[in-house]
Amino acid sequence: MRKFLRTIFLIDLIEGLLVTFHYQRPKYMCTDQYPQERPKVAERYRGAPRLNNNPDNGETLCIACNLCALACPEKLIVVGSERNEKTRRKELTTFTYDLSRCMFCGLCEDACPVDALELTQDFELASYTREGAIWDRQMLEDGPKPTKYEF
Amino acid sequence: MAATLWESELTAMLKEHFGDRIPEFSTYLGQDFMVAQPEAVISILEFLKLEADFDYLVDITAVDYPKRPERFDLVYILYSFPQNERIRIKTRIQDGYKPQSAVGVHLTANWLEREVFDMFGIEFAGHPDLRRILMPDEWEGYPLRKDRSITDMDNRWVKENLGIESGQ
Amino acid sequence: MPDTFLDSTELVINMGPQHPSTHGVLRVILKLDGEKVTGTECVIGYLHRGVEKIGENRTYQQFAPYVDRMDYCAAVSNGLGFCLAVEKLLNVEAPPRAQVVRVILTELNRIASHLIWLGTHCLDIGAITPLFYVMREREEILNIYEKYCGARLTTHAFRIGGLEYELYDGFEAEVKAACDFIAPKIDEYEQLLTGNRIWIGRLKGIGVLNAEDCKQYGVTGPMLRAAGVKWDLRKAQPYSGYEQYEFDIPIGENGDTYDRYLVRMEEMRQAIRIVRQAVERIPDGPIMGKVPKVIKPPVGEAYVSIEAPKGELGYFVVSDGTTQPYRVRVRPPSFVNLQSLDKMARGSLVADLVAIIGTIDIVLGEVDR
Repeated sequence: MRKFLRTIFLIDLIEGLLVTFHYQRPKYMCTDQYPQERPKVAERYRGAPRLNNNPDNGETLCIACNLCALACPEKLIVVGSERNEKTRRKELTTFTYDLSRCMFCGLCEDACPVDALELTQDFELASYTREGAIWDRQMLEDGPKPTKYEF
Repeated sequence: MAATLWESELTAMLKEHFGDRIPEFSTYLGQDFMVAQPEAVISILEFLKLEADFDYLVDITAVDYPKRPERFDLVYILYSFPQNERIRIKTRIQDGYKPQSAVGVHLTANWLEREVFDMFGIEFAGHPDLRRILMPDEWEGYPLRKDRSITDMDNRWVKENLGIESGQ
Repeated sequence: MPDTFLDSTELVINMGPQHPSTHGVLRVILKLDGEKVTGTECVIGYLHRGVEKIGENRTYQQFAPYVDRMDYCAAVSNGLGFCLAVEKLLNVEAPPRAQVVRVILTELNRIASHLIWLGTHCLDIGAITPLFYVMREREEILNIYEKYCGARLTTHAFRIGGLEYELYDGFEAEVKAACDFIAPKIDEYEQLLTGNRIWIGRLKGIGVLNAEDCKQYGVTGPMLRAAGVKWDLRKAQPYSGYEQYEFDIPIGENGDTYDRYLVRMEEMRQAIRIVRQAVERIPDGPIMGKVPKVIKPPVGEAYVSIEAPKGELGYFVVSDGTTQPYRVRVRPPSFVNLQSLDKMARGSLVADLVAIIGTIDIVLGEVDR
């Protein structure tokens, strides 16, 4: 008898609808309104790469050891260096990073012994041309500058 | 490979039944395997399924050693539910040999053998439907062989079907 | 003319690679007699990327990010399987702290993968609401992954020999909060779906695969457990410390779609139970085992398999003594489970075919590699 009443009065369907209507209140909305509010990403987020500079004297921290280029699975880092005769050390001249083939795995960041190469929290990396995705040293040090839209 | 000898009542049963068609029983890092003659593999699979309860064929795969005269190493991995044991059967076959298909013993072998054919070019005699499974049907060449490098493609197929000069 | 128009020959229809319900680029060629399916044939390979060939050209550490991209809904499990296989070749074991954290992250991944299965399966059948709710639950888990290793989907969380990143502050509290958030929601899904007459009508008796057929076809995972076989690789051949945790293995009776749904819901609850136990007992210690910087395993081969959310995921790694593997073979559970589609779909209607494809829980990245 109870089962018959349950079937006639659609009780099982109403139980389901109760759950759906329970979530109609505006405080349960959990959508991020993206262009107006940029989501906060974690500290360890693997985003755009950046070459760090020494904060005291502004010189680059990179010692041109080529470990990041060896660690990359896609072989997209090319480090150019020249030997400085006065200090007998290698100095960095060019650093090319091909962002179009990067899979943001973080192996280059793990391999760098001096923490010069770091993957930051930038994720807005679009460009209009394919060549715009190949970053040279200047772009790596500054970082991408996405256009901010006002609403 | 630093493999040691594997002896148990299963190997005793197999030795008694098959004699010298299984020349080697070894174990490496706790995983048991045997090397068998190519013609005997299907009868070994049947025997193991009926007598020793190895009723689940986990995988069929192949490894290519181009410098050996017997080029391919065909590997069958079996598991037994009642005994919770996993073994491997390896055979060495040469280029052009057509091993017998295992579809009659385990139905899983259907797609697994199609993939081995697609990637290595090993044809299985008696397979109901041997076609390429992952690559397009008209592709020429067998991708996972060692003489094809990672950038080799069938440029004729790419030109006909995609309209570009090459995929690289 | 009227004769040939009305005669009952079979109709061959293509359920093409672009289809909302095939969970990826899967092409199914159907032979129909009216609305009943009399034969199917799957054509796959649209997402084939050659992962096994790539494995022969990269070193062991460099190959680990590629492995995440096969089963992209459960990337952490793939990474665990590969790391266990290479660790077996090197004959090292990860330290206890690394093992417990690996179990926590893998079980959270199991919950995340089953949640996506639930959302997309319900969407195919017509119940659109659970899709939005599962995305909300997944946010909790993906936030934990993001704070731990930096990426949400293709995590590359484990390294060969242990872990790379130390746990961040507040990891235990966040994991417990995520468990407390998700556990009542699973009961809500049951309230929405389990007693619902539309759900039962669409799923009961559809796609039956009994235990004998499952073993013949090599089907593993929740499909095998729904057919009544109580087998789970975490209990049968434990890895990474699973023997220390208490959990049950849910099984079904008939092996139809409704039983698979119940088995997966119960697996989510058991996974929460494992995570709660594991979070209590994270020991102190190192997180990386004794693994050299340049990994060159001795010549040999090993096959290691784990219980991924979709079935038995196995890695067969052959090493020839150099820094690059000689052959990496991935045994994909979805590829082998998809073979049984033909057996299950004969005699059912086209709408049931959509439910059956959803219940096998395939991810085309893993089928095609």
